[in-house]
Amino acid sequence: MPREVRGAPEVPFPVGIALVVSESSAQRQALRDPDVRLMLEVRGDSAEAFEELMLRYQGRLVSVLEHLVGDRDQAEDLAQDVFLRVYRARKSYVAGAKFSTWLFTIANNVASNALRSRSRRREVGLRTPEGSGVGSPWDRVIQASSGQMPVRRVDKAEMRDIVRLALEALNERQRMAVLLSKFEGMSYADIAEAMELSPQAVKSLLARARVNLREVLEPYLDHGSRPRSGNGPKSAGDEETGEGTGIRD
Amino acid sequence: MADEPISISPTDDQAGLEEQLVAYLDGELDDDCARRVEALLAGHPKAREQLARLERTWSLLDGLDRPQVEETFTRTTIEMVALQEEAELSRRRAQAPRRRVRRWVIGGVGLLAAVLAGFLAVAGFWPEPDRQFLRDLPLLEDYDELNQIEDADFLQMLYDQGLFVKDAPDEG
Repeated sequence: MPREVRGAPEVPFPVGIALVVSESSAQRQALRDPDVRLMLEVRGDSAEAFEELMLRYQGRLVSVLEHLVGDRDQAEDLAQDVFLRVYRARKSYVAGAKFSTWLFTIANNVASNALRSRSRRREVGLRTPEGSGVGSPWDRVIQASSGQMPVRRVDKAEMRDIVRLALEALNERQRMAVLLSKFEGMSYADIAEAMELSPQAVKSLLARARVNLREVLEPYLDHGSRPRSGNGPKSAGDEETGEGTGIRD
Repeated sequence: MADEPISISPTDDQAGLEEQLVAYLDGELDDDCARRVEALLAGHPKAREQLARLERTWSLLDGLDRPQVEETFTRTTIEMVALQEEAELSRRRAQAPRRRVRRWVIGGVGLLAAVLAGFLAVAGFWPEPDRQFLRDLPLLEDYDELNQIEDADFLQMLYDQGLFVKDAPDEG
């Protein structure tokens, strides 16, 4: 059954723009969000508050980043970069949005830069990991699901791998939106703010991502067999241009 | 979230229907749109099947790893922050002498400008007794003779007729 309808989304707050937020508005926001209260203490140079925020968010941040970039070590490096930026920007922090939204906006920028650098390096190097015999994540999903015996019960570890590969087969934007929605439970409005998109764009993005996930996972779930030839979902235009791997953008 | 009308037939505008179904699952539709989706679901088994499939694959993501971060991560991150702050402080300290010199120079120039402006103002408006004295010198030289005449109007008349202009010394 569907979840309870969320309230009307907040008006997105552009990050980095100096806004005049009255003290009473900031206080109301702080009362609603204890993390905002902590961040206001960090603004006042409280090291304890910063450490507390780190402890609250480091696991969540690393999880999202790891599934985004596909590498644990890099995810930790990026997460540290995010926290460094948070501390550096503390004096200009304005308590006008949820702290998590602000944090994941920074994370999205950091991850996007990292993925862009990585894809540039790949264009130059064009190297395929030895022994993998596959290029794109899509190919790895097909390979993983091919040759399997039709099974009704799916091993948990194997399922986890297949789901992870299906997630990697999404483009970066779809993956980020899925992770923020699934792992962080963020609303479309908050995801829009973090990814600097419109709520409608997020709605489209998530719909396409979830349809793509379904089309990758269902054949494996139902038959343990590879997806239909033609590689499943056809590409379609995207109102927000994203990177594609041959599946629907 | 306000939405466009939902297509009645699940076969039309598949992408639009999928968007609505996903938003419905996420609780992102307003009451009116949610009711329309529910009406559609009630009347179309295929739409219900689509919804169930979307929900099933979405729930599989719950099985993804959510790894814990070790204590070393927190410690090293805080150390990095401390190093960053130290570097920033050193940078500001290195720039401080140059800023001080700049402040002194600006202050000095400002002071000179103020002194000059003050001098000019005083020079322009302050009455000079000597200047007045120079103007009245001819009068003072003939003061004894002029003092004999008591009528100022008569004096003014003589002045107007040019009788107070000194004759040039005779030549020859």
